[in-house]
Amino acid sequence: MSDISQTATLQGKPQPDPAGPAVAAMLEELEEGSSLWKDAWARLRKNKLALTSLFLFILIVLFCVVGPFLSPYDSQAQDLFVGAEGPSAAHWFGTDTLGRDLLVRVMEGGRISLLVGLVATTVSLMIGVIFGAVAGYMGGRVDAAMMRFVDLLYALPFTIFVILLMVAFGRSLWLMFVAIGCVEWLTMARIVRSGVIGLKKQEFVEAAVSLGYSHTRIILRHLIPNVLGPVIVISTLTVPAVMLLEAFLSFLGLGVQPPFASWGVLINEGQQNMEIFPWLLIFPAFFFALTLFCLNFLGDGLRDALDPKSAKD
Amino acid sequence: MSDRRDDFLVLENVKTHFDLGRDFLTRKSKGVVKAVDGVSLTIKEGETLGLVGESGCGKSTLSRTIMQLIRPTSGKIWLEGKELSAISDRDIRDVRKNFQMIFQDPYASLNPRMTVLDTLSEAIRTRHPDSKGDDLLQRVSELLRTVGLNPAQMKRYPHEFSGGQRQRVAIARALAPEPKLIIADEPVSALDVSIQSQILNLLKRLKSEMGLTMIFVSHDLSVVRYISDRIAVMYLGRITELGNAETIVDDPLHIYTKALTSAIPVPDPRAEHARKRVILQGDQPSPIDPPSGCNFWPRSPVEHDAQMKETVPEFVEIATGHWVSNCRFCVEPTATSAS
Repeated sequence: MSDISQTATLQGKPQPDPAGPAVAAMLEELEEGSSLWKDAWARLRKNKLALTSLFLFILIVLFCVVGPFLSPYDSQAQDLFVGAEGPSAAHWFGTDTLGRDLLVRVMEGGRISLLVGLVATTVSLMIGVIFGAVAGYMGGRVDAAMMRFVDLLYALPFTIFVILLMVAFGRSLWLMFVAIGCVEWLTMARIVRSGVIGLKKQEFVEAAVSLGYSHTRIILRHLIPNVLGPVIVISTLTVPAVMLLEAFLSFLGLGVQPPFASWGVLINEGQQNMEIFPWLLIFPAFFFALTLFCLNFLGDGLRDALDPKSAKD
Repeated sequence: MSDRRDDFLVLENVKTHFDLGRDFLTRKSKGVVKAVDGVSLTIKEGETLGLVGESGCGKSTLSRTIMQLIRPTSGKIWLEGKELSAISDRDIRDVRKNFQMIFQDPYASLNPRMTVLDTLSEAIRTRHPDSKGDDLLQRVSELLRTVGLNPAQMKRYPHEFSGGQRQRVAIARALAPEPKLIIADEPVSALDVSIQSQILNLLKRLKSEMGLTMIFVSHDLSVVRYISDRIAVMYLGRITELGNAETIVDDPLHIYTKALTSAIPVPDPRAEHARKRVILQGDQPSPIDPPSGCNFWPRSPVEHDAQMKETVPEFVEIATGHWVSNCRFCVEPTATSAS
């Protein structure tokens, strides 16, 4: 190897450069390039629906995170003399059957719902992207084995899987993250894999191979950044899906346990009494639906912004 | 044979075959694509070898085989006395910086998410792993100036450049690890004609300034003639004729080369009018189960006899440095058949 590498042809040592002795000065006049991300953001900014959704979603997050600190009520403080009462000046969203302030409960329930949504999505993102990228990049038998494993997990009925987990490890919020994350990464892995297989044949990946870069570097620097577009879109659509799953699990009594509440739990409680105390259903359901709408519109907008060719209009 | 290994780049009976696998139900073999089927070549240091042939003749596969992007099915490749084809997949990464490739499509050969600075820095670090900060910036701007780009644009992304500029970036990336051998796989065929000559001149200049050895792959004989010292004509995975650029273009022996050279347009209208074309029959056969013997017989205007359809013609040195696949029907066709 040494006989080849000893003769450096181009720049054994960087020559003193007459045109630019002061590199620092040159750096200042560098033209900033506009990355594809910047272009996508510029396109997203023109999409009013997506932008409004983003704004509303941030408001909802702030409402849930900051809200409880501003409220005079404790979400768990019961007032049995009050019981369930409709919205009033003291309790804007009314109170539930145990006399707890519904506004605070909606805010705190939102915290848990959003937390589940974001954490489980992040977990599924990490596993899915890496698993899918490795499978797609390696190809052949490795790919086949890895994807059959995904098929296997797909075939497992989700509810039974969760119930088994609960039976084995007992109920906990973290277990729910794991359970949901375990299911949601499968779709992510498939999408990333197909993206990577498409990219692998592109010449810039061949160039990376011919420069002798390591597999890890090629996957992390050259393949994954180029599939992030669809991944981001799927993520924004996974968050609401995960929140729905959490609501479903809580509804079955497998998710969040009293006295804690999530939007799913609140909706469950609300529907039990919806004929007598409709506000108990209306308020949490409204926020839940609003969040889902926002994230879905945002996901749509992101898809169009990141991949202008697929835009319908 | 052993003395040939002392040359800069030596290919010895290189074959690259792709197995198409077996039919799922009948278990019958679907065949083998013989993309490169026995190529022997010697390239001297500092020369440019032009590799021409129709689409599908195996030019790209051969260049990727030399690049070790596809490992050869059989045969041996030496670069500066080192047998590349014997290096394991794991260790090949360390020597890759010594031979680099310029790809055909400048729109696909640059990572769209990386700035020119990122792309080039990464490539420079294969040769200078510790280069960073001002030193690295200096190297990047020097590279950009070498290929005729403005270093102030190094923080731009590939989509902000034109096709010709991108190809310059791709050339800079290939030069960044300071290779001795550059394989250019149709580097100008995706570009406008006006840009083509700029890139060709750039490659020609860089080659002589840096003493690079280059393999220039193209289907366009006029482009290859302009840049190459020697030309190898490839047909269906084999070299049919090899010689100095002028010899191949002006005085070809093999009928296939004659057909190719007679297709080069001549700028003088009168000469153009008088130009005799050698017209071939049909298309290049599929490299799956290629014709046996002299693989050119199905298309040759001269009928081959049963013997030449069976035995592979020898690759012989007819005149000094002029090699040809010596099929007696292809190499000495009469003037009447070449009308």
